[in-house]
This record gives sequence, structure tokens and C-alpha cells, in this order.
Amino acid sequence: MSTLPHDSAHNHVRGLSEFIDDRPALRGEVFVEVLFSRQAHARIRDIELGRALKHPGVLGIYTAKDFHHNLWGTIFKDQPLLADQEVNFVGEAIALIAAETRDSARVARSLIRVAYEALPAILSIDQAKAAQSFIAGSRKIERGNVETALKSAPHQLQGNIIIRGADHFYLESQAAIAYPKEDGQIEVHSSSQHPTETQHVVAHGLGLPYRDVVCIVKRMGGGFGGKESQAAPIAAYAALVAQKLNRPARLILTKDDDMIMTGKRNPFENQYRVGFDDEGKIVALDVELFSDGGAYADLSTSIMERAMLHSDNAYFIPHMRVVGQVCRTHYHPHTAFRGFGGPKGVATIERIIEEIAHALGKDPLEIRKLNCYTAIGGRDITHYGQKVENNCLPELFERLETSSQYKARRARIQKQNAKALSGSSRLLRGISLTAVKFGISFTTRFLNQANALVIIHRDGSVQVSTGATEMGQGVNARISELVAQELGISRDEVRMMATATDKNANTSPTAASSGTDLNGAAAVLAVRKIKARLSELAIQVLKIPESRWARHTAGLGTEPEIEVSIEGFEKDKVNDPNADAIWETGIASYHGVTFKDGMVLCPNLDDPSNPKQVSFAALVNEAYHHRISLSDYAHYRIPGLSFNKLTGRGDAFMYFTQGAATSEVSVDLDTGEVKVLSVDILMDLGRPVNEALDLGQVTGAFIQGMGWVTTEKLHYNKDGALLAYSPSTYKIPSIQDTPRDFKIELLANDRNFANLRGTKAVGEPPLLLSLSVWTAIHDALKGLPEYKEHYPRMELPATQEEVLRALMPEKFARLAPSGKSSAP
Amino acid sequence: MRKTVLFYLNGKRQEVGPEHAGLMLSDYLRYERGLVGTKVVCAEGDCGACSVLRLRPMASSKNLPQAARNIYLPINSCITTVAQMDGSSLVTVEALASQTAGLTPVQQAMVSSHGSQCGFCTPGFVMALTGLVEKKLCDGVKKGARCTPREAKNCLTGNLCRCTGYQPIIDAAVAIDLSKCASVKDQFYSLAQERELKKVLKDPVKFQNEHFSFFAPTTLKDAAAFLRRQPDARLIGAATDLGVVHNKGKIRLSKLLSLHLIPELYDVKKLSPTRMTVGSRVTLSELRHFLKDKIPEFAKFLDLFASPQIKNLATLSGNVSNGSPIADTPPFLLIAQATIIVAGPRGKRSIPIEKFYLGYRKTALKPGEFISAIEFDLPKKTESLALYKVSQRKDLDISGVNAAFRITWSDAKKTKIREVRIALGGVGPTTLRLPRTEAALKGLTLKSDPNSMRLNEVVEILHSEMQPLSDLRGTSAFRRVLVENLFLKFFREQGVLQ
Repeated sequence: MSTLPHDSAHNHVRGLSEFIDDRPALRGEVFVEVLFSRQAHARIRDIELGRALKHPGVLGIYTAKDFHHNLWGTIFKDQPLLADQEVNFVGEAIALIAAETRDSARVARSLIRVAYEALPAILSIDQAKAAQSFIAGSRKIERGNVETALKSAPHQLQGNIIIRGADHFYLESQAAIAYPKEDGQIEVHSSSQHPTETQHVVAHGLGLPYRDVVCIVKRMGGGFGGKESQAAPIAAYAALVAQKLNRPARLILTKDDDMIMTGKRNPFENQYRVGFDDEGKIVALDVELFSDGGAYADLSTSIMERAMLHSDNAYFIPHMRVVGQVCRTHYHPHTAFRGFGGPKGVATIERIIEEIAHALGKDPLEIRKLNCYTAIGGRDITHYGQKVENNCLPELFERLETSSQYKARRARIQKQNAKALSGSSRLLRGISLTAVKFGISFTTRFLNQANALVIIHRDGSVQVSTGATEMGQGVNARISELVAQELGISRDEVRMMATATDKNANTSPTAASSGTDLNGAAAVLAVRKIKARLSELAIQVLKIPESRWARHTAGLGTEPEIEVSIEGFEKDKVNDPNADAIWETGIASYHGVTFKDGMVLCPNLDDPSNPKQVSFAALVNEAYHHRISLSDYAHYRIPGLSFNKLTGRGDAFMYFTQGAATSEVSVDLDTGEVKVLSVDILMDLGRPVNEALDLGQVTGAFIQGMGWVTTEKLHYNKDGALLAYSPSTYKIPSIQDTPRDFKIELLANDRNFANLRGTKAVGEPPLLLSLSVWTAIHDALKGLPEYKEHYPRMELPATQEEVLRALMPEKFARLAPSGKSSAP
Repeated sequence: MRKTVLFYLNGKRQEVGPEHAGLMLSDYLRYERGLVGTKVVCAEGDCGACSVLRLRPMASSKNLPQAARNIYLPINSCITTVAQMDGSSLVTVEALASQTAGLTPVQQAMVSSHGSQCGFCTPGFVMALTGLVEKKLCDGVKKGARCTPREAKNCLTGNLCRCTGYQPIIDAAVAIDLSKCASVKDQFYSLAQERELKKVLKDPVKFQNEHFSFFAPTTLKDAAAFLRRQPDARLIGAATDLGVVHNKGKIRLSKLLSLHLIPELYDVKKLSPTRMTVGSRVTLSELRHFLKDKIPEFAKFLDLFASPQIKNLATLSGNVSNGSPIADTPPFLLIAQATIIVAGPRGKRSIPIEKFYLGYRKTALKPGEFISAIEFDLPKKTESLALYKVSQRKDLDISGVNAAFRITWSDAKKTKIREVRIALGGVGPTTLRLPRTEAALKGLTLKSDPNSMRLNEVVEILHSEMQPLSDLRGTSAFRRVLVENLFLKFFREQGVLQ
């Protein structure tokens, strides 16, 4: 386990790391701008291009008819690259303007007039439900007999929860540059989490065979799911212009355009009925999830599936039914965002737990622990039938409750709130401890594969190429560390190459927290093939005096060339990165040969304490002269995934990443302002490859989630246009919002045998712990007289207005425009 | 008369004429100089990715402490034109590390504390932190000195990061050994440079081509005459708002008048023990320095308002003349009885701030007129003063509602109101004074009214004097509830209301 910095950190701090728009302009390069719809739903009567085409510097304007195939889509091919005859959301691309300068393209865009004929727009989940406007069918996962169990439960309650969307706000907006090459080939550099899909969408749109499009991703300035599917059309736009003009074409969205055009985290509106006993143990649960998918399918059905698979979170629910339906509306097509559907399922069950506790007058933590998955009594099978292996949840609850001094703080807060309620202070406080159990694997089985290419050069330095894309999470740092450790060399000797579809094809998106799990495993399998050959070679050549080695003699004709024969291993059939490894170190050894500190050591039978050794670089060079391959490729697929989408049963995940967080907040009684005072996180990440990078993911994901549950509100006007499309109106957390007291610890867990080196994926799960902030805000309000009877149900995010409204609902009613009494 | 603007970039002299002077500084750096380390995200000064360091010699008033003058300060390069850099010395991220010395301590700390993930915001953070270090070095540091988490957060309020959750960046900031840091000024600013910059700042600038024209006179008279002759010219102060509007394609900054060469506009001083004046070129950062002890409430309020990068450019006059009903300084200026000093073709005139706002984004400025200074009260210690700002996010956010309260008491025990002034932003087409509410409160002795029935009656009047709208910063009900609560909070804080 290491704590090495990110492999690009030294370049990041010097401003030397290259992002898309940092690439120098090539001769003849043109700029592309996108004209998009200002209407949510309309027929396009006419597009008047005359003035724009005459604007100085304009080289061409392209519309739907210019694409060879105009439809794309990750799951369903239902979305036009450029709107054809009809627009279905504000921000839908209609035309591409290519010009000599960025300024010229922008001005020309403003000169285009689109004549719309407005059509009725569906702008809420309720409207979609009423109009039966859905994307794909309803899905159901069910266990037990929900109706009977609900009826027989000692207590029942029902409710609903409104969860809003959120913008990814990656700092680098969507961007691509396309270069035309010989024979009509296109090389596209894209800020994409999914180079393979980007390649395919570009090729399909342009009518090219896949072999003629190469997509290259050096890095992204943040992705968070927003560049999983939605980077592809942007690349296709640049590529179309490059193809049409036979000139390099650059498309860099402004933040405003990016936020208006691209999809967000899906909003959800969920309904629940729950039955529970006197203690608070859940007997039965019926949940209906409705998401706003936006105008096109994008990944929404898959997001819904993950929401359904996470509606249990950390809790065993014997009788459970979860139904999910994606609604089709006239908003931007919503898409992947860190956590996918997980946070929406988990927010729902955490709200339910809170309501049960409130109804019974108990501490919600008590209810959480009572319902927590446990092997005792067989309460460790999920509603879809997968056993929760390596279940750390009970331990996480116990440990964090103690280490965060939950009980003492709860008692203190009760006293403080009593003061506030009696009028001697204006701050309420709240505390909440929530957990997460996040399933790791794509729920779409075929995506759980990866490939990697490892090349060792004759000086002993190494290049690694995988399908993983680097977006700040440090996947390259982790993979290079894994490879370096296998070869016993320093990480600096291993260079991670830009992700490119001509080296790693048919790859999956870097998503679902799986980047290192999948690509790291493939890289380890690939390097071990070479390692096995080098080990055998080392044994053989170390029997011969070094002066006679081929690297000194080959080709000179001065002495007979030595011959060694390498049997090789049947490594191709191995799919388990732990198979040849020693569990404790995670590193493989062949023939007793070890690779360490730049040396290769062979057992010496004559003198066991004094192993024979050769430097790694020398051995590599020797291997070349024996015509032994120093490059290799491996493919990895996650074994044992049996989830059946039709029956809703089976093993959906390879394992679960788990964690818990205690958050304490204060709420200002006058303004509704929320401060997150302290956060204690305990995460189970198995055995991290790089602990420092993992902690960075936990910190960043939590704060990102904190924004989603508090300040980040996507305001739309009544016509479906996003009004909050820049940081002046869309408020992600600032440095001042970081909790004053922020502790993160990792649980020691050496038992995750399922995954590469016993690690656990980290990218998404900690985001869901931010729900503890949301429940803590509710906790602060629970003591108000208004909430004696029912739980203070706020929307997510609990914005300042939402909180103030919940603090003084009567005052809001009195001062609402319809309440004339106060506004004469 | 100069035909180009002059500035230094990473120690190298740059003269720029009409071809590039109208570019935003970030675009000039990235696309004309190849300095792509400076990033652009929002193009509206809200994320800090475009931060560069800028020093402008002796532009500031002599009444300011050394720490506020002649120092490299972070600014947003995305909303400021190259022309405005006239007479400045700039440093970008690429220049910090050197072949010989390697990473600076700031950069090294960011690496070691894992303060960067995707790297896109990182150069901006490095520049803002370097600015903090520069300020600390200017104040003088002892061996092993560190900055505090509070200082780090305050200097980084204008920088957004979406990956790290900020904690590693705070860790990096406090890990920097300030005594091991070299001053940027020592490396990039020489006496010869200063001499030249100071010299050119005395010489007016005028140039134009078919796309862009720029005029920077050295006297108010010339400025007013130009504005009268060229009514389509845009007067720019810091352009922290106009730069945004330009970037969004709503206006084009193609014909500019800059006041940056007029020395008297940099004055900030006391006019009497109870009155002061601020020239229209004094930045908000400089103003904060000047006011720190004089009106701590206003100085503290300025901390919540805008980012350090903005405040190092923006001016009080700009905030006032912009005319936004949610501008953050007008409520204070209204209760501080500000007078707007206006320069124009016929010389100067004074406008009381109550008469300055005529309607939504409409001011009393006539063609050819501009603000040269703002005078306002320095409230006495015996008065009660409170300023509030409520926004979706506490820091660096545009207000939903802002409010200013000032009471002059009849008695030393602060129970009887002699005079009260209340101003509200965000609840009408302009920032409002509330004459009927104020009249209702005048002469009241609050302690004699323990049940505050009178105050509740006043609340009704308060509501009748505002007309809040619903928009993305809040519904009208939200704004009313806030104003009512802030009103009650203010009186509660005077200790006269339970």
C-alpha cells in the first residue's frame, strides 16, 4: 500500500498537464460552435442560415442531414445527434457552425434564426405519469409477500420523497478536437470517459467503419459520469466538421452551453409504504421509483436498475417490492452521475428509516442497527437474492458510533436544541449517522470486461495502455503502481499511455467505480505473462556466466550464440488476478523468482542465503536477444455475475464497498442557513492500492454529495429552460463549506477475496454518505412543535429556502403572494 | 500619447496594440502566448481557474498599509481585457517553478498533500495560494511560520474544485513553510521595471483599429469630453461585470474608455472624523484594508461578498453604478448617507444615493457622466450597525436578500431610538430605503415594549414597503420571511427584544 501522489500531480501544479483545449492549434484548424434549441418541445419550421453563412470567417454550417446516421444512444439508439424537424429539450443541438475563429463561430451562431412551432411539453414526472410518457417498461424486483406482510405489520406508514437533479460541474467542459487523416480516417481527442463508445458514435455518425476512427483520451478535467455517454456526440460534432472541411476541428463548450445542453443526475419522485414492528424492525416495504429520464433514454434505464438494487441500502427487508419506471420528459437527457441510481435508492430507504424512528420516538441509529444486514438469522440476503459477503456493516456502525462519540453528542445536541426552542439561542443542531453498501460491478454484465497492453522496452522502462480513462481519480497512478510492484521497479519506470482505441478496443466506460478493478486486473494479468517468461529466462541464464549472455555476444559472430528455450505458461486461460499471487502481498512469483528493487532474484540451491541475481533492465535486454516477447496483452472479465434482469434475481455484484458517516449540522432559525460542523467517516475499502488517493476519493465524493443534498439546485423556468447554468447561479460547495472538523478513517479489511489484491472500489460509494448531512438537517428540525406528529419532509436538496420553509411553514403561508393579509 | 498598452508578463516586457488589447487576458495568455496553464471554466469570475498574479505599482492610495500596495495579487484573467493590464506586472503559473529550483513550496505542498486530482482547477489554486504567501512574506514571517486554515480558506474562496472536497488543499496550504518561500516580487519585479511602468502610467493611451478602440486619459476632463463625443464608448472600471456580459455574448467590449491613468481616482481618505471618501479606482480589497478598524461591520461584510480575485479588481463605484437591486454595497451606502460624486462634461456634481437609483438598473448618471468618488458616513461607535447578506451558498454567491440597519440612539444605554435607517436589497427594483418603517420606529423606546407588539406592527409596515419577486434565488415568500426575520434579529441583537 502506498501513498504516492497522483502520477500527474507535478504537472498539474505547474500548469503543464495537457487538456483538450490546451492542444496547440494545427494549421488550418477550425472552430466549431453548436446552435441549440431554445424550446423544450417544438417542431422546427425553418432554419434561416443566410446571415450566418455570410458572416466573415464562417466556413460551413451543418444540420441533421449532414450526418450519415443521425441516431445514437448507449442503450437505445433514440437520440438524434442533431435535431431533425423536432426539438425535444432546451439545449438540444440543431446545427454546427464551423469558422476560422471562435469569435466568428459564436457571432455566426447568434445570426441563425430558427422558426419553431411550439408543441406541448412534459416538464414534470407527474405530467409524464399522467400522459403515460415513459422510457422502456416498468421493472420490478420482489421478494416475499409484500401485501400480506404490510397488512399484518404492527405499524405502517407511507410517504413520498422528491429528489432533484444535480449538474456534474466538471471543471473542463465537454470538448473534442478531430483531425482528418489519410484515407478518410478520423483521429478524435475527446474529454470522454468512454473512448470506445465515442469512437463508435463518431464512426456511425460519419458512416465510417470503426477501423477508421481512433479516439484518444489523455485525461479529463473531471467527469463524474457526465462524460460517460454524453462526450460522444460532442466528438461526433467535431469529427463531422473535420470530415466535411478536411481540416482539424475544435469544439470546446463554454460552461454555460455545457450546462444547458448536457443531462444531469436524474430527478426521482418515489413513493413508499412500509410496515414495521414495535422495535422498528422493517417487516415489509413497497417502493415505487419514478425517475425523470429527460427527452431521450441515455443511461436512465440502467440508472433506474441501480436505484432499485440499492433501495435496501444497509438493511435486510424480508418482504420487499421495488418497482421502477423511467419517465420521458422534455428536459436534457439525464445521465450517469457518481453513484448512478444508487444515491436515489439509498436516499429513499434512509428517509424511510428516519420516519420509522420518528414515528416510534426512537433514535434513527437504533433503527438502522436493528435492520442492518447480518449473518445472524440469515438476514444477509438482498431483495434480489445476493448474499452480502464480507459484510462489514455491523462493525462499521459499532465502531463509528463509538469513535464519533455519537451518544455523547446526541445528548449535548438535545440540550442545545432545548435552549434554541426556548428562545435563548437561534441555532438548532442535528446529528445523523448513516451507512452505505454499494454494489461493485456494472449491472449490465457485458460491461464487466477490460483489456490491457504492457510493453517493456529494452532499457527496462515500461509502457502500459488500458481502456481506463484518467479524470483525476488516479486510475493511472494505481495501475502503474500495480504493474511496477509486480516487476519490482519504481512507479516512475512505468508510463501510463493515453487511452486510445487503436491499442485498447472494445473497452467499457471508466465508470461504476470499476476503473482500477477491471483495468488494473487486466494489466496485472498482462504483466504476469511477461513476468513468467522473464522468471524462466532468469533461472536459465543465471546458470551461465554473464559475459556469455546473448546481449553481449549476439550478432557479433565472435562466439556461438547460447540457446535457451522458454516453455512459457498457459497464462492466457487465467482470469483471476489473485490466482498466482501470494494473498498477503498480492504479487505473483514464478519458479521462486522474485522481482524486487530493480533486481530479479533466483533461488540459489548451492547457497540459499545468497540468491543469484540480475538487474531487471539487464534481464529485459537479454530476453530481447533470445527473441522472447517483452510485450503482452490480457483480457479480464469479472466472474460469477448471475443477475437476471427479467426475474430481478441473482448476483448483481462482485462485492460491496461499505462505509458509514456521522454528520453534525447547525441550522440558523432566522435564515435557514445550514452549516456542516463536523463529519466523521469510516470506510471499508479492503486493502487499497494507494491509500492517499483513496482518501482523496472519499473526501471529494462526500463534499460533492454534500452539494447535491444542500446548495445545488437546478432552477428551470416554467418553459423547461435551465436558469442555473453557471457557477454564479448553480452553487457547488466552496472551500468555506468544508466541514471544520473532517475525519476520515479506513476500516482494516483483509478479506475481500473477490477482487484484485483484496482492494475495494472507492469512486462512488462515499458520495452516498453525504446523505447523513441531509438526514442531520431533518434531525435538527425534529424537535420543533410542528413536527410532533409527522416527520419534517424536505426535498433533496434541502436548500436554504427549503429549510427555512420547513422551519416556519406558517410564516411562509402567511407571506406567500396569495396570502394577501401581509402584503397590502 | 501612447499607441500601445505596456505590461510585463513573467518578467518579460509586452506591448500590445489594438489587435490583441481587446482580448480577455486569459484568451491572450492561452491562444496568443501559448500559456495554457491558465484555465478558463466559467468565464465569469466565479471559479478562479484563470487566476494570475498582478502587481500595479503605486496605483493605490498612500493611505493604505504597505500590505495593500505594490504587491502581487491574484485576479481573474477571464473577465479582464488585456488593455486593462496597462502598467501592470503579471505572473502566470508556468513561471513559478524553475529548472534549477524545481517546484515552489506551494506547488510541492499541493503535490504532497494530494491537493490536485483532475488538475483543471489546480493552476488557479496554486496562483491564489501563491498570492497568500506573497502577502504573508510582505507582512514578514518568522522561521517555520505557517498560515492558518482560516487564512487559507479566505484566500481560496474564489476557487472552485469539484474533485478534492478542498480538505487536501487546506492541508497543503497549512503545510507550506512560509519562511522557505521566495517572493514572486523578488523574481519578477525589478526597479527598472517599476521605473518604466510608473513612467508610462503618466502618459495617456489611445489606439484603435476597425475592431477595437481604447482610450485612457490622465484627466477627468479628457475622460468626460471623450464620453460626450463618443456616447457609444463603454466606460470600464474593472469590468468584472461588463467582462462577464461580454463573455456571454450580450455586449461587445469594442470601444473602451479606461480611467486607470487618472491619479485622483485612487484616493481613499477621511474627510472628517465621521465622513470619508473613496475614489472610483480604489479596489474593494484596498477599501477593506482602509475600513478594517473604521467600520469593522462593513469590512467583515466585504469578506462574504465576491472572491478575493474579484475584489482585487472590482471597485465600490462599479458595484454602485451597475445598478443591480441585489448589489451588496448599496444597502450599507444608503444607511451611511452616501453621496455619489459624479464627474461630467461640466465638472463635478454630487448626488445623494437616495436619488441615484431611478429604477431597475437605471441610475441618475447622464451621458458623459461617471462616478469619480463616493463619500459616506463613518458611523460612530455609539451607533448600532448591522449588515446582512443571505444567499444560497454563504460565500461568493449573489444575494437573495441583503439588508443594512443603523440606529442612532437618544441615550447612552441604547434604548430610545433617535433615528433609524434601514435599507434592503433584493426586494424591489432598486435597493430600498424604508421611510415609513423608519418613521414608525423613530422615537420608540424599545425596552418599554417587552412584548414587542409595536415591533410586530412595524413588521406589517415593513412588508408593505417592499415588492419582492420570485426568481431562481428565491420565492417572494422566502424573501419576505428573510427580511422579517432579519429585522427581528437585528432588534433582538440590540438586546431590546426577547
